[in-house]
Amino acid sequence: MASFPDVERAQQPAPQRSALAEFFYQVRTLRSQKWGNLWGYVFVAPALLLYLIFQAWPIVRGLYMAFSDYRWIIPATHGWSSFNGLDNFTEMWTDETFWTSLGIALKFTVVYVPATMLLALFVAVMISKVKNAKLAGFYRVVSYLPVILPVSVALVIWRSFYHTEFGYLNYFLKSTLGIAKPPNWLGDADWALWSVLIAAVWMTFGHQALLFLIGIYNINPEQYEAASMDGAGGWAQFRYITLPMLKPIFVIVLVLSAGVLGTTVEVLVLFDTGGGPAESALTTGLYIYRTAFSVGDMRMGYAAAMSLVLGLLSMLISGVVFKMLRTERA
Amino acid sequence: MLRSFKRNLRLDALLVNLSLFFIVLICLLPFLWSVSSSLKGREELFQTLPTLFPQHPILGNYEFIFTRRDMSMIPINMLNSFKVTLLAVVIQTSLATMAGYAFARLDFKGRDLLFYTLILLIFIPRAGGLMAVYELMDALGLRNSHLGLALLFSSAMSTAVFIMKQNFLSVPRELEESAIIEGANTWQVFLHVAVPLAKGGMVVVALFEFLYVWGEYLITRTLIDFPELDTLSVAVSKITGWAALFTSSAFSTYGAEAAAHVVAMVPVILIFIVMQKWFIRGLTDGILKM
Repeated sequence: MASFPDVERAQQPAPQRSALAEFFYQVRTLRSQKWGNLWGYVFVAPALLLYLIFQAWPIVRGLYMAFSDYRWIIPATHGWSSFNGLDNFTEMWTDETFWTSLGIALKFTVVYVPATMLLALFVAVMISKVKNAKLAGFYRVVSYLPVILPVSVALVIWRSFYHTEFGYLNYFLKSTLGIAKPPNWLGDADWALWSVLIAAVWMTFGHQALLFLIGIYNINPEQYEAASMDGAGGWAQFRYITLPMLKPIFVIVLVLSAGVLGTTVEVLVLFDTGGGPAESALTTGLYIYRTAFSVGDMRMGYAAAMSLVLGLLSMLISGVVFKMLRTERA
Repeated sequence: MLRSFKRNLRLDALLVNLSLFFIVLICLLPFLWSVSSSLKGREELFQTLPTLFPQHPILGNYEFIFTRRDMSMIPINMLNSFKVTLLAVVIQTSLATMAGYAFARLDFKGRDLLFYTLILLIFIPRAGGLMAVYELMDALGLRNSHLGLALLFSSAMSTAVFIMKQNFLSVPRELEESAIIEGANTWQVFLHVAVPLAKGGMVVVALFEFLYVWGEYLITRTLIDFPELDTLSVAVSKITGWAALFTSSAFSTYGAEAAAHVVAMVPVILIFIVMQKWFIRGLTDGILKM
């Protein structure tokens, strides 16, 4: 395994302004800027065009859709005519499936985020303690393999692992751990969401572990040497050097995790649009997908409204987390 | 005292390697299991004591998915995957390189405003994104189109543009300046002087795009209605119609499915192992800097 010379490059210079502040500064000074080299526009035009059509437009259109009674299979509701004000949101308020699905999505997030983060941190710290460079490289590569695996492939493999009779997991539980009645993973309403969780953690912890690892490699080893001179043990070093130094990585990982509230693909591959036994794994993401693409009139308007609420909610959560981490120990 | 210190050290190393061994096992088991199942015949697959290493390895499962055109669309799906992925990689890498160059080197009105808008838009929630995308692609006639998928997948390029901008900023400017003095125009300077120096960034962008598009599931599943147009990552989740295999004696549908999984994972694993150095660089230059 090759070494990682580029890890040193991660040392990041502190930005003078946040992206948001920079944005407003640029808006204010736009009028005073000179036209300059017009080739610039030629260079950014193709990228910008593609971005405007396929990324920016759907944001705008989706926002409007959330306030309309758009049903895909009824052409009369297409376009801009079916505006229905806040009807979608009042319907959502009384839609029990929506609230249940939101509860499931929250439960998923609340378990997934700390579980993945702790596992990732543990793996990163362990790998950082491996002295042999080749062995450390091997561990890094192997722990990242689940992340690069196409999600559908990973989940289909997990599905066969979970099989009650022929699955490897229950075989292991029965033969090695001696559990007489191992769970019916995907078939039992009590276990369905946990099955999704285990697979999801497996698929993603490697990514966070690598981010933590890059952070740990960037800590000056002299800090640890000085601490051990002063008699600080392994735990104390971890608590008072590693953890504080990794704070920027924690912020990134948590902000990235906010999207978990919208989990869709994992449930979709494992249970299709049904949402598992007794809909016990029907997350809001899957409910939205089902509403828009697979049942009834394909109610894209209502789906867009739910998706807007979900998006704002995850933005709110990541904002709060961001604020909390910023001010703490500042 | 020194001896107890050494013993502690050895104990630590033992604990570290033991726990990492478990992690490795957990990470690799599904991979080993697919490869092993794909090489097993019917009898071995349903053995009551499954073994990790097949005793009588066979290639029949692979032969089935690649040659039985009447039942398996895996070769077509594989070509589709390569088509969409390569198209998206080429489009995104070239456009992001051009834009990154402009943001790093060319001075034009509104440049930084455009750049920061691009970055900030990452954080705007895509309310109804997929629904709006579905409508858009339908209106453009790009549903059930590989070109459509490639355009869509290459358009999310904020990170790519960011990486390319950083890349151009980190290479010395002098060569470009002397080329300008010699009378080259902006395009010539870009193509013949700047791009050769920015290959590293382009590799990183291409690598991330490859991994993303090859594994993309949700959008492809939604926009493609015909199995013969599916990419591999969607196709493997839909395999159900091979039950007829149960009647043939030598292999079973499980073995053939496992073979399809292996086919779908090999390209990304190879690319990742060969390019891992670039990969770390991409992470440190990309999300960790934003």
